[in-house]
Amino acid sequence: MTLKKQLYSPGEMTVAIDRIAAAIRRDFPDDSDEFALVGLYKQGVPLAERICSVIERETGRRPLFGKLDISMYRDDVGRRSGLPLIRETVIPFDVNETKLILVDDVLSTGRTIRAALDALTDYGRPSLIRLAVLVDRGNPEYPIRADYVGLESRLPSGRKISVQFDEDGEEAGIFQVEWQK
Amino acid sequence: MKNYIFKNARIIDPARNIDVKGDLGVVDGRIVDAAEVRSPEIIDLEGKVLTPGFIDLHTHLRQPGNNMAETIASGTAAAAAGGFTAVVAMPNTNPPADTAGAIEFLRQTAAQKGVVRVLPCGCMTKNYEGVEMAGIGSLKSAGVVALSDDGRCIQDHALMRHVVEYAKSFNLPILDHCEDKCLAAGGVMHEGKWSVLLGMNGISGAAEELMIARNIILARQIGWKIHMQHVSVKESVELLRNARAKHIPVTGEATPHHLTLTDECIKKYDTNYKMNPPLRSEADRQALIAGVADGTITVIATDHAPHTMTAKMVEFDDAPFGIIGLETALPLTYTELVAKGVIELPDLVAKFTTGPADVLGFENYSLEAGRAADLTIFDPAAKYVIDKEKFKSNSRNTPFDGWEVQCRVVMTVVGGRVVYDARG
Amino acid sequence: MEWTRKDLLSLYDLSAEEITFILDTAEEFKKVSERRVKKVPALRGKTVVNFFVEPSTRTRVSFELAEQRLSADIVNMQAAVSSLRKGETLLDTVRNIEALQVDLVVMRHSAPGAQDFIAKHLSCGVVNAGDGAHSHPTQALLDIFTIREKLGTLKGVNVTILGDILHSRVARSNMWGLLKLGANVTFAGPSTLVPREFEEVGVRVCHDLKDALRDADVVNLLRIQHERQTAGFFPSTGEYAKFFGINRERVKEMKPGALIMHPGPINRDIELSSEVADGPNSVILEQVTNGLAVRMAVLFLVAGCVKK
Repeated sequence: MTLKKQLYSPGEMTVAIDRIAAAIRRDFPDDSDEFALVGLYKQGVPLAERICSVIERETGRRPLFGKLDISMYRDDVGRRSGLPLIRETVIPFDVNETKLILVDDVLSTGRTIRAALDALTDYGRPSLIRLAVLVDRGNPEYPIRADYVGLESRLPSGRKISVQFDEDGEEAGIFQVEWQK
Repeated sequence: MKNYIFKNARIIDPARNIDVKGDLGVVDGRIVDAAEVRSPEIIDLEGKVLTPGFIDLHTHLRQPGNNMAETIASGTAAAAAGGFTAVVAMPNTNPPADTAGAIEFLRQTAAQKGVVRVLPCGCMTKNYEGVEMAGIGSLKSAGVVALSDDGRCIQDHALMRHVVEYAKSFNLPILDHCEDKCLAAGGVMHEGKWSVLLGMNGISGAAEELMIARNIILARQIGWKIHMQHVSVKESVELLRNARAKHIPVTGEATPHHLTLTDECIKKYDTNYKMNPPLRSEADRQALIAGVADGTITVIATDHAPHTMTAKMVEFDDAPFGIIGLETALPLTYTELVAKGVIELPDLVAKFTTGPADVLGFENYSLEAGRAADLTIFDPAAKYVIDKEKFKSNSRNTPFDGWEVQCRVVMTVVGGRVVYDARG
Repeated sequence: MEWTRKDLLSLYDLSAEEITFILDTAEEFKKVSERRVKKVPALRGKTVVNFFVEPSTRTRVSFELAEQRLSADIVNMQAAVSSLRKGETLLDTVRNIEALQVDLVVMRHSAPGAQDFIAKHLSCGVVNAGDGAHSHPTQALLDIFTIREKLGTLKGVNVTILGDILHSRVARSNMWGLLKLGANVTFAGPSTLVPREFEEVGVRVCHDLKDALRDADVVNLLRIQHERQTAGFFPSTGEYAKFFGINRERVKEMKPGALIMHPGPINRDIELSSEVADGPNSVILEQVTNGLAVRMAVLFLVAGCVKK
């Protein structure tokens, strides 16, 4: 059975997302070149969509948008008991010389981001890559830091943080999840 | 030599139609009235069954040629553990038993190392190649009880006719492996639904049926005994039933594995399900059971075919045919036929005693006073799990490991000597 | 669901859900081959042995390329069955391969069940690249992938497989996969090569070509081996072509747009005329392209999880 405890409410999530969107807008002003948001499966994708919508609402201009599955770039092949289905990677723009912002829900060890960087560079040679996350857990195992952070959490590394959007038909919010035998 | 009184046994003696509770005495290796025995060892057999010694009409002892798989010593020890007091040794050894010298070797080795009686069987043709007749007269003089090219089948019908005619003049029954080579060519399992689904070469039931029909025709024409080894298909049972109704001198045997398993077992590619004739369909199995029940099939024989683990640990196509059977024959057939109510226990005992004795022309194979004390004693109520590691055979190629069965062999007595004793 | 198998031996073993899982995974791998960098590091550091105990060009090249695109290290081993049988046993050979810390064995063998047999004794993964007339799961998966790509679904699709069904692992594997995904399967050809026993698992068996083609959405043709003629299964390749070959005239009797498939290599003008093989209905080369994606998916999945 799982024990779920809310860490942040949907309202606090919205504020954090707005904060990320505002910071991105500051770095990529309206008159600058096009940039793209690339969401990482699973929860980075709806998060990137939210950020795109906020930017579009504020500026009337929607950033380029892509979705990335990093299954083929993981560093634990052959060490898991089961593999989930690979989700559809969609990069509907030329990555070469494009400014990219990777979006993920939680930055923990940094391994996912390492894999995502490898994956993205196989699609082309971006001119710049930044990282936006909703929650930064502050316990990186790789030298990877986020450029845009919505919230910071100092939960011990044994505890899982789960981000839910109401699109999933679930209760929205940021939760601490514990499995109990 | 010890004298015995076997007390309180259920004595089943099919030749004399006896099924009573009583005692049986043994003096100097011969059966006597229990009242006549002086200073005996008394063995209480309350709840146990005592019968004439079982004869296996179809055993491969592998010696000479493949002592790793089995020897006369290990094979006869396995026979004793299975309740058999005599085995008919198939001649397809290496070299084959196609000369008087080979039979002499078998008899001498059996006399020194054998645990139960070894009844030699000689080849019908030289090197069992189906080309030239073997020295059948010399084989008879050397002591064979029957003739067989088992493992192969004489394809030349004219030669087969001459062999049967010649064997008749020496009073030797024919035990025939019935298989048309062209129809069976390249096959590794029964031709049917499962061979088709598994993409394996099939052995058509017609390959057996055709040769059984041939043998029935020759037996009728010549008026001599032909015994069909390991009958496996429905249509063969039907042919045999009709022929026997017309008093043609033909008989047939069924193996415990054809009575208990079907071709579907092969879908996991375990080579312990590879034998020839192959495991057939469920309809064939049912027809075989019906044949055993109505007396069309008078013999249950094991086709005990030992192979080393190395020989069997290969691709299914490359594995040799055959499984061991001496130590599992009685519990398997008891569980399948008697416990399920298909036949009565005396009928099953007959398939292991008078059935094979009749094929070999042994008269009055019974527990009558004066006869050699070849006895099989078993506990029909004992339930146990087959454990191949406990086998006396040198080989372990059985698909029945782990099977829950009923009916355990308790003692085997050959000529008044206890050669197997499983009492606690 | 999650993928948890470390072997792919036969589609008979898989559920419809697992087959769909492989097809969906293959969709993503197909895109890899369309990128600028046609390679992913998924199997970096993994060693795959391609052990072919039966000659093969197409399947071996397809597997090898798939392994390269997954960044695996590759060892190719070919052995003639005859020489293998003279020397050490198959089991000893593969155990020796495994002792070299290999992660995956892709094996072709002429004996049905040879891969099932070795998989029972190995801890590394085993992928069946064809075992006798029994099974060729990756070929069936690529055929099914191609049908799904073209027609959108397998449910209710009428697939006719025509030719030497008796000796065909392609037909058997397609049969299990197609039936599980809800397609209607017809096996067609001369009665010596199309056993009736297939009806027992729900296949329509048909010896009349017109009848077999009339409602087919897909016609998958099998290669006719000349040695079957010598074994007496049919009188001549000429007679086979006349009564069971697909040519322009026969295509006219089919539904418009029905797909023509062939696992290759084609005997042109025997089972299939050139106009049809190279015609608008033919998806034969797309099968080859899809084969690469399907094999990448299979290798990725079976190498991706630990043995239970």
